[in-house]
Amino acid sequence: MPEHSLTSSAQLKARHGRETRFRWMGRIAILLSLGFLVFMFVAIGMRGSSAFSQTRILLQINFDEQILDPQAKRDPAQLALANYKPLITKALKQLFPEVTKRRDQRRLGRLLSNGAAFELADMAAKDPQLIGTTRDIWLTASADVDMLIKGKVDLGVEENLRRLKDTELSWIRKLQDNGHIKKKFNSAFFTKGDSREPEMSGIFGAMVGSFFSLLVCFVIAFPMGVLTAIYLEEFAKKSFITNIIEVNINNLAAVPSIVFGLLGLSIFLGVMNLPRSTPLVGGLVLALMTLPTIIIASRAALRSVPNTLREAALGLGASKVQTTFHHTVPAAMPGMLTGAVIGMAGALGETAPLLMIGMVAFIVDVPQGITDIATSLPVQIFLWADSPEKGFVERTSAAILVLLAFLIAMNLTAVILRKKFEKKW
Amino acid sequence: MKQSHDLTLRRSGRIAKIKEQTIIAGLVVCSMIAILVTIGIVASLAFEAFLFFQKVPISSFLFGLEWSPQTAIRADQVGASGKFGVLPLLSGTLLISTIAMVVATPLGLFSAIYLSQYAETRTRDWIKPMLELLTGIPTVVYGFFAALVVAPIIRNTGSGFGFDISSESALAAGLMMGIMLIPFISSLSDDVLSSVPKTLSDASLGLGATKAETITKVVIPAAIPGIAGSLLLAISRAIGETMIVVMAAGLSANLSLNPFDAVTTMTVQIVTLLTGDQEFDSAKTLAAFAIALLLFILTMGLNMIALKVFNKYRTIYA
Amino acid sequence: MKLQTITASVFTMVLIACSPSAPPAAKEEAPAAIAPASGRDHIKIVGSSTLYPFATTVAENFGRTTSFKTPVVESTGSGGGLKLFCAGTGEQHPDITNASRRIKSSEVERCAENGISEIIEVKIGYDGIVLANSRKSPKMNITLQELFLALAKDILDAENTLKPNPYDKWSQINPDLPDIRIEVMGPPPTSGTRDAFVELAMEGGCKTFDWVKALKKTDKPAYKSLCHTIREDGAYIEAGENDNLLVQKLNANPKAFGIFGYSFLDQNFDSIQGSSINSVDAELENIADGSYPVSRSLYFYVKKAHIGQTPGIQEYITEFLSEKASGEEGYLVDRGLIPMHEDERGQWKEKVKNLAILSLE
Repeated sequence: MPEHSLTSSAQLKARHGRETRFRWMGRIAILLSLGFLVFMFVAIGMRGSSAFSQTRILLQINFDEQILDPQAKRDPAQLALANYKPLITKALKQLFPEVTKRRDQRRLGRLLSNGAAFELADMAAKDPQLIGTTRDIWLTASADVDMLIKGKVDLGVEENLRRLKDTELSWIRKLQDNGHIKKKFNSAFFTKGDSREPEMSGIFGAMVGSFFSLLVCFVIAFPMGVLTAIYLEEFAKKSFITNIIEVNINNLAAVPSIVFGLLGLSIFLGVMNLPRSTPLVGGLVLALMTLPTIIIASRAALRSVPNTLREAALGLGASKVQTTFHHTVPAAMPGMLTGAVIGMAGALGETAPLLMIGMVAFIVDVPQGITDIATSLPVQIFLWADSPEKGFVERTSAAILVLLAFLIAMNLTAVILRKKFEKKW
Repeated sequence: MKQSHDLTLRRSGRIAKIKEQTIIAGLVVCSMIAILVTIGIVASLAFEAFLFFQKVPISSFLFGLEWSPQTAIRADQVGASGKFGVLPLLSGTLLISTIAMVVATPLGLFSAIYLSQYAETRTRDWIKPMLELLTGIPTVVYGFFAALVVAPIIRNTGSGFGFDISSESALAAGLMMGIMLIPFISSLSDDVLSSVPKTLSDASLGLGATKAETITKVVIPAAIPGIAGSLLLAISRAIGETMIVVMAAGLSANLSLNPFDAVTTMTVQIVTLLTGDQEFDSAKTLAAFAIALLLFILTMGLNMIALKVFNKYRTIYA
Repeated sequence: MKLQTITASVFTMVLIACSPSAPPAAKEEAPAAIAPASGRDHIKIVGSSTLYPFATTVAENFGRTTSFKTPVVESTGSGGGLKLFCAGTGEQHPDITNASRRIKSSEVERCAENGISEIIEVKIGYDGIVLANSRKSPKMNITLQELFLALAKDILDAENTLKPNPYDKWSQINPDLPDIRIEVMGPPPTSGTRDAFVELAMEGGCKTFDWVKALKKTDKPAYKSLCHTIREDGAYIEAGENDNLLVQKLNANPKAFGIFGYSFLDQNFDSIQGSSINSVDAELENIADGSYPVSRSLYFYVKKAHIGQTPGIQEYITEFLSEKASGEEGYLVDRGLIPMHEDERGQWKEKVKNLAILSLE
């Protein structure tokens, strides 16, 4: 008897051991998955966060009327096109009188971004009063300087392998000593379109492109999805046709996104001749892709509305259509919107189908409407990942951070929407 | 007076009825879109694929062992042989998907088991949205991360152990895709596990089984069809995934099952064939549609089976 | 109550979107309204990924310094670009295509078939094609012949018969070369870089065999297919034209080599190095004076019919050929362009000013 209890307690111990191990396996699985999430966020965050600041150089710029506006017309359109490079060259000459050789002066000028002159142009066009005055202005530094100040240049390499030579370094050091060089918040990143100069490039153009695409996508997919859901849940009788529709919807939900891109390529672009590379086509493709998500979510929302509500309305003499549109649908609307927001979040991150319809191009101008050529946020990330300039590595990561921020915001909205309007029937 | 009132009532009733019927007709039309889209996909893919099969016989496409779509794009260019055998792409796709599933299945299932059987509601409320966040991350982000962080790590670890790992190894792309699939599997399986009737596990626990025993011997066997369904859906997703492989897997069509080799997938080839050269008549462009048709049929088939399995499962416990 | 407003507003949208039943039908009219020819207000540029950094830089400067809209540049590869370019005239077809090699006679014919008989050729400078690897590995010095032997699909054995390329490692070709697997990542056939590499490096190496030289006279197609066909057994990896990822991949894999334009080497000088070919270093001066054997000219092609239709084309060309862009100290040189000599640039400027039509002789 005692013998038996001994073995059974050993057995029990083994069984409990297995229990603990099993439980820990679950924990470890979750920890690994979430740990990876954290690892990825931290890695990208570390690479990208530096792009939110931008190195600038302080120069005393004399807006020389002789150079910019000899006729003193102060026409903003003309001022925007004037040549501002000489102003910068002059200001640098003042700061570095010891640099006299033409070649060196050129190199000195390259401490500043190619776009610095345009910054001056924009300022002057906005405020013609500047002409003739002298101002202290923080101008954008070139990507090489920016990378150096951010500590991303390995100074251990031989001089002739570095993009910045020792002379340049000594100039930068001088600027640093005078407090003429500083990292500032990079607002251009959020207000500008793409650029060849990493330091001048921004994601605003891509954001607007994404916005227009999502707008088209929502305007088409949401009503269609909701109406389909209403039909299937409230009106349709089980029949061969409805069965086919249901199977179709479920299948479409699992079709790879790139196939939708091909559909867009051959039908929207090939057959219908819609303009290539535009948010219009992008939105249409995304709409077809999000449709199943919205239909499935809307159906679930409709199904959760209790029958008593419908019966009450019908009992008071409302028709089926009235019951549905006046009572059932409003009650299900939060659920439907939640589905729509989640669908839109998916569409925002979608890249592959947009590659198929030509939304991959170098586009500087911010699109003004749905028929302008545009790209989108994830495609911009893909494009920047391909650019040879080093400065784009941090931009790519930063653009990812922005994209993720949008996605998290959208998902949070969905959660809040669900929490706020969720009714327990 | 009364009669006319009656008449207007009847007329307005008729108008209302017409209005309602129009609305319902509109609903029917909207719901037909789903069918239209499917028809559109099939028609466009099949049409272009048909043109392709006129240039390249279907048997050499399906059973060809070599993929090198380097046909000359000009009359006087020496391209290469221009072989359009899809098997290397298929094997590459399967290799990467298998790696992904090897990573995602245990992690996803164990997460689901923990969340549905062990976790308290409070932890669950925290962890579930976090895992869902992982699904919401755009695949271009995973792709960037795979190419720039994961692949070098794998390469360096590999060379530390004396392995020669290609920098575009299937392993990096597969690993990343697996991580993408974890929350997908875990949330589907979580639903499945939660829907196993409590009476079953209660009976088992009541007989003195531990929780782990109940789960492995009662709950999981009962949920097997549902779990299988969710795994099938995950595979279908892995096969169709594009950006991760475009950025991390490369273009070399090796017929290889070695995870350290560089392979290419169907989706990668579609992207490369269509972004380089968008003319609508060359065999190269048309090949993209043929691959896409195959991809569509594969994912569709997997999805159908998965749905069948799910439905069967539902009828058991409904 | 709030819900009702939401519902109401949603349903107005429903009505807007769903009344003409299918949305595509509703949208079809939109482009028709903006379709009438010459409707495009920006220049559309396609073509080579090698020229992409240059073209985009010029486009951006052009957009900033003139009243014209910024041209839109899409990177499609030289071959793909010329194909699109030659598809026809009109709004939906590109105005300009960039090519990292000269246009071929077959392409000129194709253009002519589609009604594009007048093409303006613009040369912008030179580029070297480099065979580069990570600085973590030693620099390689290779001859064109060795390069051909490493990358050709078929090679000749001692008896001058063709056999599939047997080499796995560089050192099997020449013991002085590194003892590592041949692993070269390079561009696909749509790329001009690939065309140029094949014609300059592969053919250049191929020709060094006397037997092949003789073959050229007797059987040109056989000669071409021998010299121009790159191996497909995995030693040459088609890595796409996303040249920057290629650079990153070289960094990650110090044993691999990559083939790309000089500008990518120039931008990443601190991490990768170009191999010497026939003992000439891949450096700016050597490429400009032609002593580096794998250097080529860069061009872009303009549809004459579009000048006057799409605003700004001539001004764009002028900007491209200006001193501040492609001059010896121009901003394109910062991006890795190897500039033409002053006189040559002057000649091209003159040609373009007169809208001289391309003729291939």
